[in-house]
Amino acid sequence: MNKVILASGAALMLTMGAAQTPALAQEKTLTISVYALAQDEYKQIVYEPFQKICGCKLVVETGNSVERLAKMEANKANPVVDMAVVSMADALAASRAGLIDKIDTSKLSSFGKLYDVAKDPNKDGMSVGYTFYATSIAYRSDKMKIDSWADLLKPEYASHVAWPNVTTNQGPPALYMLGLALAKDTADLKAPIEAVGAKKAEIVTFYEKSSQLVQLMQQEEIWAAPIGRFTWAPFTKLAFPIAWATPKEGQTGGMNVMILTKGAKNQELALQFMDFWLSTEVQTKLAEKLIDSPANKDVKLPEAIANNLTYGEETAKSLKLIPSAVALDNRAGWIKTWNEKVGQ
Amino acid sequence: MFQNRAEALALALPAAIFAATVFLVPVVILLSDGFRAPAGGWTISAYTDFFSNPLNQAVFLRTLRLGALVTIASAVIGYAAAFAIVSLEPGAKGKVTGLVVLPLMISPVARTYAWIVILGRTGIVNQAFQALGITEAPLRILFSETAIFIGLLQLFLPLMIISLISALENMPKDAIPAARVLGANWFQVFWKVVLPLTKEGLVIGGTLVFTGSLTAYITPAILGGSKVLMLETLLYQQVAVSNNFVAASVIAFILIVMSFAANILLKRVATARNKQRSPQ
Repeated sequence: MNKVILASGAALMLTMGAAQTPALAQEKTLTISVYALAQDEYKQIVYEPFQKICGCKLVVETGNSVERLAKMEANKANPVVDMAVVSMADALAASRAGLIDKIDTSKLSSFGKLYDVAKDPNKDGMSVGYTFYATSIAYRSDKMKIDSWADLLKPEYASHVAWPNVTTNQGPPALYMLGLALAKDTADLKAPIEAVGAKKAEIVTFYEKSSQLVQLMQQEEIWAAPIGRFTWAPFTKLAFPIAWATPKEGQTGGMNVMILTKGAKNQELALQFMDFWLSTEVQTKLAEKLIDSPANKDVKLPEAIANNLTYGEETAKSLKLIPSAVALDNRAGWIKTWNEKVGQ
Repeated sequence: MFQNRAEALALALPAAIFAATVFLVPVVILLSDGFRAPAGGWTISAYTDFFSNPLNQAVFLRTLRLGALVTIASAVIGYAAAFAIVSLEPGAKGKVTGLVVLPLMISPVARTYAWIVILGRTGIVNQAFQALGITEAPLRILFSETAIFIGLLQLFLPLMIISLISALENMPKDAIPAARVLGANWFQVFWKVVLPLTKEGLVIGGTLVFTGSLTAYITPAILGGSKVLMLETLLYQQVAVSNNFVAASVIAFILIVMSFAANILLKRVATARNKQRSPQ
């Protein structure tokens, strides 16, 4: 009897032991945390060339920003990730939670080449912008004409519109612009949320994944949707005339930034990696593949490519971005108001 | 087979420890989050908060309603289909059963995306409706409860049919003719003979369909979207968007309780009918 127990115990130990991979510490490793988008291209343009330069190993963690920030918070005492890329507002959230360190920009040789808006987006020295995007309205120019964000709620258009859910990155900026159009642009977004809520029965859907929109447009389920410029390219390939709106209130958007984990084991290496990513060469290649609009002003692009991106200092300056502090302080309230007016 | 229970238990030990450490313990930890008070100790305030929110109430009732409707519809359609299949020749029976099972081998994502095309404004359903003059303008079916209902029914109907086929096959062949000879009409035959004799299949099929409908994520996410939230899509929102693991744990616990309750309820219904019949 005892033998049987021993044997089964040994079998268990064996299987548990086999599940652990032996820790190999033969080289420097840099752990980064990024969005899951376009990883094949990043690997080719950023990760592999950098590994050759630094002679180190790059470990890449992916996921949406909420998951990745939660992980950073959980590992606060013993950080796993050395650097991460997140949205501007999430960078401020990480900074408030004490998860990140100031970035020593004197060690970034490409820093001077960045657009001014990207140099220190939150004005706290804790983040550096690497790409930004415009958010406006993609629409069927043969079916409608969009001159204002408020046009989306016109009775003849509302039943052909997909609106971003408040929980998406495009949701709050789109509501903010609608607020400007309604001349009621308070930080709580109450007026625009109420306006959308009043049309909730007509609006086709409140989308959560922009990847869904191309199919809905193709099936003529929708004629228009507020989208980020980074999802624009596939719309131009549809069989219908699709236009990018330039509403009179302007375009909104967002910026993604790099942050440095507080107490990270490889801060020097992380800074070297950031500098590489911000270099004119890497930013040009990422732009040419339509992955990220460049934050480096030395990047020169042919018109065909620039048209599919958010390109140029004038564009960057003209975007009406929601300040990170406003977004953070109001996010919970927006979702609450949204659930009351639209969600039910 | 074994000389004593202890040996048998010892052999089961590695599997039991494995299941406990990688499944049971994490589930208990996850669910306990919903009962933990912020200041320490235990509380059910997360549950009272959850149910006092009108949005959550609406989502809870919608999930319950759709689960029940899908289960009832699949039972009605399932009995008809299972009857037809068991009355076939053995060769044909195998082939038709294979056809019923076939959709289960296709990814739910692919099946659900197909529904977007079928139910869309320019899809077959709307084209047919307009061609037949049933509607003037295309109906909006996508992103509604109707779309979720159709998607879930198609997803889980095979499970009900298979359960009922095996139940009907185990029923004595002469039970129905005997009841007819004794003067029962078709309704009485079904209600007093077939249903009691196949109730186990109905309980198994019903539990599978109901719990499946409650916990399916892809179908309500694609066909309902955030406009028609169900508990699972709400759960995802709480975790991936709001990072609110307490609310997510509350929803997970509610889903588990609803699944168990459905199973117990269905069994009760079946045994209650048994007792009614036993004095005869």
